[in-house]
Amino acid sequence: MSKIDRMTRRGFLSGTSALAAAGWTAAGAGWVLAPDWAHAAGPIKMGIATDITGAIAPSGNANWQTAQFAVKQINDAGGILGRPIELSLEDTASDPGVAVGNVRRLIQSAQVDVVLGGITSAMREAIKNPIVRRGKTLYIYPQLYEGQECTKHLYCTGPTPAQQCARLLPYLIKEKGHKRFAMPSANYIWPQLLNKWARRVIEENGAEVVMEEYFPLDQLEYSATVAKIMSEGVDHVFNTVIPPGLQAFTKQLYEAGYYEKGSQSCVYFDENSVHYVAARELEGVYSCVDMFHTVDDPFTQKLIADYNAMFPDTKYQFTAGTAATGMYRGIKLYEQAVIATNGDLARDAVSTALDSASIAQGPGGPARIVPGTGHTEMNMYIAQSKGGKWDIISAENTVPPEECG
Amino acid sequence: MNDAIKLAFDVAAFASIMVLVVSGLAVIASLMGIFNLGHGEFVLLGAYTVFLFREWGLPIWLGMMVAPFIVGLFGAGIERGVIRRLYAQPVIAMLATYAIGLIIREIVRGLIGGQYYAIEEPIAGAFEIGDLSFSIWRAVIIGATVTVMVVSYLFLTRSNLGLQIRGALENPQLARACGVSTTRLYALTFAFGSALAGLAGALMVPLFSLSADLGVRFLVQAFLSVMLGGVGTFAGPLLGAAAIGSMVPGYQWLREIPGIADQVSPVVAEVLVFVTALTIVKFRPNGLIRAGRK
Repeated sequence: MSKIDRMTRRGFLSGTSALAAAGWTAAGAGWVLAPDWAHAAGPIKMGIATDITGAIAPSGNANWQTAQFAVKQINDAGGILGRPIELSLEDTASDPGVAVGNVRRLIQSAQVDVVLGGITSAMREAIKNPIVRRGKTLYIYPQLYEGQECTKHLYCTGPTPAQQCARLLPYLIKEKGHKRFAMPSANYIWPQLLNKWARRVIEENGAEVVMEEYFPLDQLEYSATVAKIMSEGVDHVFNTVIPPGLQAFTKQLYEAGYYEKGSQSCVYFDENSVHYVAARELEGVYSCVDMFHTVDDPFTQKLIADYNAMFPDTKYQFTAGTAATGMYRGIKLYEQAVIATNGDLARDAVSTALDSASIAQGPGGPARIVPGTGHTEMNMYIAQSKGGKWDIISAENTVPPEECG
Repeated sequence: MNDAIKLAFDVAAFASIMVLVVSGLAVIASLMGIFNLGHGEFVLLGAYTVFLFREWGLPIWLGMMVAPFIVGLFGAGIERGVIRRLYAQPVIAMLATYAIGLIIREIVRGLIGGQYYAIEEPIAGAFEIGDLSFSIWRAVIIGATVTVMVVSYLFLTRSNLGLQIRGALENPQLARACGVSTTRLYALTFAFGSALAGLAGALMVPLFSLSADLGVRFLVQAFLSVMLGGVGTFAGPLLGAAAIGSMVPGYQWLREIPGIADQVSPVVAEVLVFVTALTIVKFRPNGLIRAGRK
């Protein structure tokens, strides 16, 4: 299956034939991975709706591979209460318009018991109604995001702004002595709401936000912004510019000599960042997510090793920024919920159980849904990029999501 | 004073990138009357060539030297295979170039797995004059653009082939009557325009990183430049490109004037570039430089 790491048409076709060899069968436009053993009650049907093609494809494919990985682990260990999981995949194609129809197929044709997926907030907004309201199906959203998603029967298994900011920013202010923050951002909802959180935390800790600006996502020129960062004496850049604007921004910031004057953080950076940000521009940057490959936890290390063994030489790594950790966590939490209902797959029963589900081990550590919030408590790690690796600076256990409560 | 120097450098750097991107488009549009909607992807191919060289472990600067020739050859192939058959139908030709661009873009997207790749400059870092720091690579791009423009100018005004090209631009029928093979000239021109696109892509990719949509981001501004400058001359579109290329960072810098930043967000500044260009075109419908005779 490692052949699918390059999405050429030919590569995709030969890759999909490899899928067929591995037990996948085409079902309409989507794919079904049936387990290789059966149970009298039939399999538990799990739907994955993620971006296999289009701009978000690198993350989507990581999610897809993670789902196969987690389900294989569960099925190899005897399934959930003896029943295997059957995986159905629909491509949301990085396009909310296309996604709605495809996701509906998961609900109506494949009749899945749960849907996991969606990466961008725009995608989540587009597919949550077809899944939760009209589809009356449980939905698990795996990506770190801006918060404020409080739809019933929708569970978020990635970090919230509180989890990402509430430790990192006080650390930068109290331990590192940074006082003047700049918040250059891409102009969409995630940076806007995240910055609201960040500004509050920054001001509560006695530092100030000198500038907060929103750019078109593909802006190419940042000389004026960088000049302002330099002239205002900014000592920390809380960066939420995303690719393709990101590369031009960090390059201009580096060339202006900022790296000698202050530091930078970017809370979606993970092990993939080294590919799209030049090494010297990544050096010293802080990030805060729910898992790094350098986390000192035997279970996490084994997960990464097993994932890499299942997908050798893959371009799509098991990292936090792609939502892969949230995907794994979501599948394992769902498993616990079904165990708690004693195999009852009815949406309301599983949802009630999921509302207080927990796993003792997961990527980065244990996780638990905080009852009544639909969000997940998890360990968070602050790390700094050093020579292409993420040096863990501090780990905080069971950080609450602080959403919808 | 320092701010003014910094501003001048930043504006010159971005304007150079725009001029480099637009030059290939302008050559083809002016001489052949064909708007190459796949131009952005020719730029992308130049960038992709550099990426391939890096993947093969070859020096990046070598990739940058070779990229214009590879993309030029590719352009020659496209001209022979597709464009040549469509000279009589410029609109169809335009759609064909769009299709070619789409095919290139999606193939490259597949080959790089839809990812972004940072590519290092052959000469990285910044140099300092006084207490100002300037990007070395941006300075190289300014130098390269000036060189390419001077060489192209000398080629068009001093060489025999340049004379033929100018003749064919002025009056194709008469040129043919004088024994100039316009077919060969067009093929050469298309290849030359493609090579310029390849060079632009190769030189600028370290600034913006490689992604399948690299070219698309410049295409709209490139067309705006051609519209602003005027079709039918070589200088017009380049002047247009310089104007657009100056306005993009220029409007961002305007926001530094106290009081303006609150009124004009970066998003609005981007839109203002278009508003300004379209306003100028409204009053000078033929562009900044009007074609001599048509």
